[in-house]
Amino acid sequence: MAFPINATIYVKSVAKSYNGLKALDGVSLEVERGEVFGLIGPNGAGKTTLIRILTTLTKPDEGFAYVMGFDVVKEPLRVKGVIGVVHQENNLDKELTVYENLLVYGFLHKVPRLRQKIEYLLEALGIKERKNSLVSSLSGGMQRRLILARALLPDPPILFLDEPTTGLDPQARRTIWDVIRKGKAQGKTIFITTHYIEEAESLCDRVAIIHEGKIIAMGTPDELKSRLGEFVLEHIDAKGRLHQWFCKDQEEAYGFVREKGIPLTIRKVNLEDVFIALTGRKMK
Amino acid sequence: MRGFDWYPVFFREMLLFKRRFFRLGYFLSAMMVPLIYLIVFGLGLGRDIRISSSYSYLGFLIPGLVAMSSMVNSYSWIANSVNLGRLHFKTFQVLLQAPIPLFCVVLGEVLSAMVKGLFAGFLVLLAGLLVPSGISLKAPFWIAFVMNCFLFASLGFVVGMLSKGHEETATYSNFLILPMAFFCGTFFPLERIPGFLRPFVYLMPLTHTNLLIRRTAFDKMALLSWVVLGGYCLLFFSLALKLTKDYDE
Repeated sequence: MAFPINATIYVKSVAKSYNGLKALDGVSLEVERGEVFGLIGPNGAGKTTLIRILTTLTKPDEGFAYVMGFDVVKEPLRVKGVIGVVHQENNLDKELTVYENLLVYGFLHKVPRLRQKIEYLLEALGIKERKNSLVSSLSGGMQRRLILARALLPDPPILFLDEPTTGLDPQARRTIWDVIRKGKAQGKTIFITTHYIEEAESLCDRVAIIHEGKIIAMGTPDELKSRLGEFVLEHIDAKGRLHQWFCKDQEEAYGFVREKGIPLTIRKVNLEDVFIALTGRKMK
Repeated sequence: MRGFDWYPVFFREMLLFKRRFFRLGYFLSAMMVPLIYLIVFGLGLGRDIRISSSYSYLGFLIPGLVAMSSMVNSYSWIANSVNLGRLHFKTFQVLLQAPIPLFCVVLGEVLSAMVKGLFAGFLVLLAGLLVPSGISLKAPFWIAFVMNCFLFASLGFVVGMLSKGHEETATYSNFLILPMAFFCGTFFPLERIPGFLRPFVYLMPLTHTNLLIRRTAFDKMALLSWVVLGGYCLLFFSLALKLTKDYDE
């Protein structure tokens, strides 16, 4: 089959069902080299299933998926050699130390100059002073940083990050965002799933919105938002119901405020507005 | 498979083993049951029992306890480790996503479980050698001992892959391991098993380990047991490999 030459990740008509329920239903997308691509959607939308397929943990029922040109079903070993994965769960060996976790992972991935790389990443992610601590004694944020360090250890050209910042405090989240930005600056392709809108907007070059196993919109965050307008006016009536009006620019928004003569709040349109407009539901 | 691709998997398990080894609970649990059997059946009840003119009951019991203890320890560690790692801690997925052949993942896990079985078997042997028993440790003993560890480590891997939770792993253990411990020639010769049970007993792999581990030489009479034991090794390892290759979340 024809494979787009620029696509680092190429997914065509992928479907996957669990017990008759469709987790993915004809998903197609392409991610270019060096791009940060976000897959956003509520819990259960199919984000993790797609990541599992792309990282060889699950086989699709239908369709094809390629990573760096390697078929995820037919060439899983080649795929595993070019990816780093941050799972949703903190799947570390909690009875081992920080250093031992990285050492084992480095051996598994045949990382050259392993000990120097471990030292570098411990420093870069601010966990060097916990090098000899048992993982079970680390906070959730520290464990997340360690998982990211682990994924970066083989210096893979592609990173899959499944909800990398869920449950983290703002400082830990910012550290992870910085690492993602540095990865992009180094030319890595980053595929990230999240249900944090601000995360997707601030990090991603392009996003796809997934709902009930289907991609319902795809584009740059600005492109998707511009479908609705630039501003949203909101009013909560006496019964507590929220009313929204989208305006294409500031002039239209002020005109609307004068015309309505009711208390209104104004803010910029975000990706969650796009999701609600497309599905009629809230993201979370 | 490239050379030592299984080694990181093995290395990880050895690090975990080292950490748990120094916990009192692990060491005691590996030792407690066989030691109790050794004291109760060997030194207590078995003091005046003679199995044959050539050796005492202790000489009969100790190789059986080595087989039983190595079976339990090879099996249970890996069954729990694979099951919990797969379903609860999700650490098994890290191994599956490493760029090494799945054969090496299985081999590394099985070899590490064998170390635990061999370790537990050696502890029993050491305790047994402290009392006069007249056992002789010839080549068939060592080969059967190692094959037994490989076989039950592979079976433990299979159970870890098949069971849908920690409780189910314990259920498999109750139905597979416990009956074998008592009926397969650990505590009394197979000739004393009731006739109706004998066909089932001869289907069990531990029976053949117990037959072989007490032999002093390779002879034609034991050939069938070697074939059965080898067959089980091949069967369980192949099954472990197939389940890993077919793994799909």
